[in-house]
Amino acid sequence: MSDRGEGISRREFLNRIALLGSLAACYPVAVIAQKRLQPEAGRLPAWCSEDPWKTLAEVQQHLFPASDGVPGASDIQAVVYLRNTIENPAADGEDKEFLFKGVGWLNELAQKQTQKPFAVLDEQQREMLLREIEQSQAGRNWLSLLLTYLLEALLADPVYGGNPDGIGWTWLEHLPGYPAPPRDKSWYKLGSPVRYQRKA
Amino acid sequence: MTYDFDICIVGSGAGGGPVALTLAEAGYSVVVLEKGPWLKETDFYKDELACCRRSVYTPELSDEQHVIEDLDSSGHWVGEATADSGWDFWNGNCVGGSSNFMSGFFYRLKPRDFHLLSEFGPIEGANIADWPISYADLEPYYTRVETEVGISGAFVDHPQAEPRSTADFPYPPTLEHPVSGQIDKACRELGYHPLPTPRAVLSRAKDQRRSCEYSGYCGSYGCSSGAKGSARAALLDRAVATGRCEIRPHSKVYRLASDAKGKVTAAEYFDVDGEQQTVTAKTFVVSCQAVETSRLLLSSTGPMHPDGLANRYGQVGRNLLFSAGGSGTGDFVYAEMSAKDADAMKTRGPFVNRGLQDWYTLDDKAFGGRAKGGTVDFLLRHPNPIGKAMSVKWDDDDRLVWGQPLQKQLKSLFTESQYLRYEIFCDWLPTDNCFVGLDASVRDKWQTPVAKVRIGYHEHDLKVGRYINERAVKVLDKMGAKNIRSSISGSPPQNLVAGGCRFGNNPETSVLDADCRAHDVENLYVTDGSFMPTGGSVPYTWTIYANAFRVAEIIRG
Repeated sequence: MSDRGEGISRREFLNRIALLGSLAACYPVAVIAQKRLQPEAGRLPAWCSEDPWKTLAEVQQHLFPASDGVPGASDIQAVVYLRNTIENPAADGEDKEFLFKGVGWLNELAQKQTQKPFAVLDEQQREMLLREIEQSQAGRNWLSLLLTYLLEALLADPVYGGNPDGIGWTWLEHLPGYPAPPRDKSWYKLGSPVRYQRKA
Repeated sequence: MTYDFDICIVGSGAGGGPVALTLAEAGYSVVVLEKGPWLKETDFYKDELACCRRSVYTPELSDEQHVIEDLDSSGHWVGEATADSGWDFWNGNCVGGSSNFMSGFFYRLKPRDFHLLSEFGPIEGANIADWPISYADLEPYYTRVETEVGISGAFVDHPQAEPRSTADFPYPPTLEHPVSGQIDKACRELGYHPLPTPRAVLSRAKDQRRSCEYSGYCGSYGCSSGAKGSARAALLDRAVATGRCEIRPHSKVYRLASDAKGKVTAAEYFDVDGEQQTVTAKTFVVSCQAVETSRLLLSSTGPMHPDGLANRYGQVGRNLLFSAGGSGTGDFVYAEMSAKDADAMKTRGPFVNRGLQDWYTLDDKAFGGRAKGGTVDFLLRHPNPIGKAMSVKWDDDDRLVWGQPLQKQLKSLFTESQYLRYEIFCDWLPTDNCFVGLDASVRDKWQTPVAKVRIGYHEHDLKVGRYINERAVKVLDKMGAKNIRSSISGSPPQNLVAGGCRFGNNPETSVLDADCRAHDVENLYVTDGSFMPTGGSVPYTWTIYANAFRVAEIIRG
């Protein structure tokens, strides 16, 4: 993340908020909410430094970039959500296998065309490559699945690891329902035996 | 002979609940076998993943599915397994069944629905039949459901209103959305009669059940306050409290065994571990929702029932009904409204609660004379955000949308407008092309044949739907909606299903007698929507509840 450009960086912003200490109580709720989510948001978890998660996270960033007032893939913790979802106890492993395989295909293509892995390509190169793999059925399914999980990360209940503090809901002015699911009542813990099924 | 129970009920939804409660209260011992889990208020949250995007309340299709037979482009019936198509025909497999997930939009049938054939005459290609009972026979039970299940509403007399034995509903209407007033105004200007929609949702507390808490997420969601009148919250919890009703979840009945005299002797089921179990009873009641009820009877062969229970004349599974009609939608753009109106339109929580029955009976030369029509119900877009967001994932050229174009579309979709819909409910005429059978090759995870459902519709249904649509669409137009679009189709809504075991006086053309007892099996009753020879033009649930109370009294004796 760049420290230049628009005013202050996230890290600086975070530090300033922290310095405010007890004055935080005077801040509007939205700012406080933002403060809470800062330590996690905007950065990728450490386990994203290795593939397949590294490439998956970079693809997510491209599919859902952050910009002024718009939370990006890392802000909505899309990769955390994705990991929780495909590795949860009820997952059948099919999506995980498919997504991981796709990382291999994508990097193979990236190497062939640019001699570099996807993660270091610039935006234009990424767009070209992803539009190219969209031409094949498998590539299209792979991207479609990633987009589905991105939209879920953006708008599912924060209990699943995405949408921290409802950042996606806030961005889209969406009013969630209540009561919200507690951790021990997440969908894969309800009923039994329950297994994983993604619906269209 | 000794039995494990007096009464064994297979399926715990709207057809099973009234029977369990009535008979347990009357002192009978009752067991309810339910395929799914026993989820309670403390398991239901406003979680879109649980309700609508994962198979939590319904089976995984690779474990249990259907085969749907539809016409291909060359006019042949072709079956496709739902695990391949993704077209899920399950509606809620847990204690209380799909009544847990309904939106509780409740209407009674009207007297003429009970004798469609006599009233409007035959239609070529349709197997229309009069019911063996009349509205007057069912009316006391419709009334009983209002208090037992809990229906909130306000009776408004209108030209097509059905008679009722009490002046009004026992619970006042649920809170209403500001848009309801705008619908009323537009309808009245058009000379229509807007009606408050009765709802099986408590507007004030009843026993252990709290009043509706107006989260705005109702249909498709399990209810966490207990306000929704599911068979579980309203009836089964009370049946269990008598101490005489046992509910066995995760109990998948695959066969009803019968003896040399043709009587049902036992329900055979798989328990949660996949072990085969048996329970015996004096009387058996099947209420698994229409498709699965027919499937169970067809699967239950015995010495006197070589083609399945109650199937001596090959009637089981025939004349399956869905609900015909379609829907229309119009956008209300916030930027084109005053700030006050926009805020009102954004309100989340209260129900729209408006319907029209002006065209329940049609009497128009332009249509072709007197005919059965239908009901119109208004509702706002379902608030589910992920489902909504998914609608902009593909562009018009079928390319995936991502990056800033996706984000712009999401922002616009969520923040710039609301849409109002109406849904049209017409009779789905019974025909020879809509039925349930057993599939010859596809099996479920217990290796029993799955139901094959042929989903043909009658062209007349579309004609009725279009006639009503031309009139309903004017309401959106009058309200100033933009981008109005509507469609009438013969595609079956899988959540509105009935028929397959129609009741009647002639054993050769019906499965059940007027008491919903199988013509040729003296201790077997069917109490879900399967009994209906014709479906009427409203959702089925209230009628299923009422009829199940009626049959329960017959069984009680």
